Amino acid sequence: MSTLTKILIVLLTISSIFLCGIVVTYVATADNYRQNYNSQRAKLDSLEKTTADKIEQYNQKAAEKDALENKLNSEIAKLNTEIGTLEGELKQVEALKKIEEKRSSDMASVVETTSQTSSETTKLLIDTQADLNKLKSEQIKLIAQFDDTSDTLLEKLAVIQTLQKEKKQLLEEKIELQNRMDKLLQPTGRTPAPVVTVTPRTEIARPAPVIARKIGLKGLVTAVDTKNKMASISIGTADGVKEGMKFHVTRADKFICDILIIDTDAEEAVGALQLVQEQPRPGDTVTTNL
Amino acid sequence: MSPNRQIRGGKVIAIDNLYTVILALAFCVVLATAAFVAYKCYFQYETIFNIP
Repeated sequence: MSTLTKILIVLLTISSIFLCGIVVTYVATADNYRQNYNSQRAKLDSLEKTTADKIEQYNQKAAEKDALENKLNSEIAKLNTEIGTLEGELKQVEALKKIEEKRSSDMASVVETTSQTSSETTKLLIDTQADLNKLKSEQIKLIAQFDDTSDTLLEKLAVIQTLQKEKKQLLEEKIELQNRMDKLLQPTGRTPAPVVTVTPRTEIARPAPVIARKIGLKGLVTAVDTKNKMASISIGTADGVKEGMKFHVTRADKFICDILIIDTDAEEAVGALQLVQEQPRPGDTVTTNL
Repeated sequence: MSPNRQIRGGKVIAIDNLYTVILALAFCVVLATAAFVAYKCYFQYETIFNIP
């Protein structure tokens, strides 16, 4: 191997190591352009998005501004017309004011006269007020008397209602007693006489004595059913015969039997035989009282 | 003692194999550099030869 080749080999090796060192140093310290690109791209995208939003907001604000401007312009125009109308009304009011001032100057004398009249009316009003106060005091007294009278009247009405109830109860008791007496006295041929009160109406009521009177019905036996111990008589409801009445059958002065009425007709009655002493016959006398 | 050692006129002269080793060293350095560059390219740009 020649010397030149050896020198070249050494130079080549040194230069390659040097260049490789440079390359390694450069590559190791070089920026990551892809990463930078991506980050820059993301920033750009976000900025573009922000710009688009801002543009949209700007457009919205511009539209709102235009709408508000139009609205305000229309309101300004409306207010201008109102100002014109109010100016015309103001002129009319000023004219009316002048007329009213003239009228008020004319009315001043009238007001003086009216004030005099009002002072007189005030005096009259004071007098009338005094009279009214007197009348009110009298009215209060009368109302108090009326209240007392109303209370007394209510008490009397309550007493009257109580007495009416008691009267109704007494009437019911009277009717009940009347019915009981009818039942007791009818079999014996008597009926209670109408009650005559002995107490004058102005005095306190007292019980009246019960007086019984005789019924006094009289007839004949018309038919006899000895098998069933029944008999019919010649008087009925037209004569006052009622169911439950008891008739005495007699022949001359002899007692034959009793008949307890169980069925009545207009001119006939049928009853059961009781206390039979002898067999009754048609033509025997029947009376309620012996 | 290597049989290739040459002594000329009292000077020690390097054997040829030494230059072969130097060349191999240079080759290894170049190869390692290329591998490092390729690794960095692939790691950063996910490709070696194409332009992303």
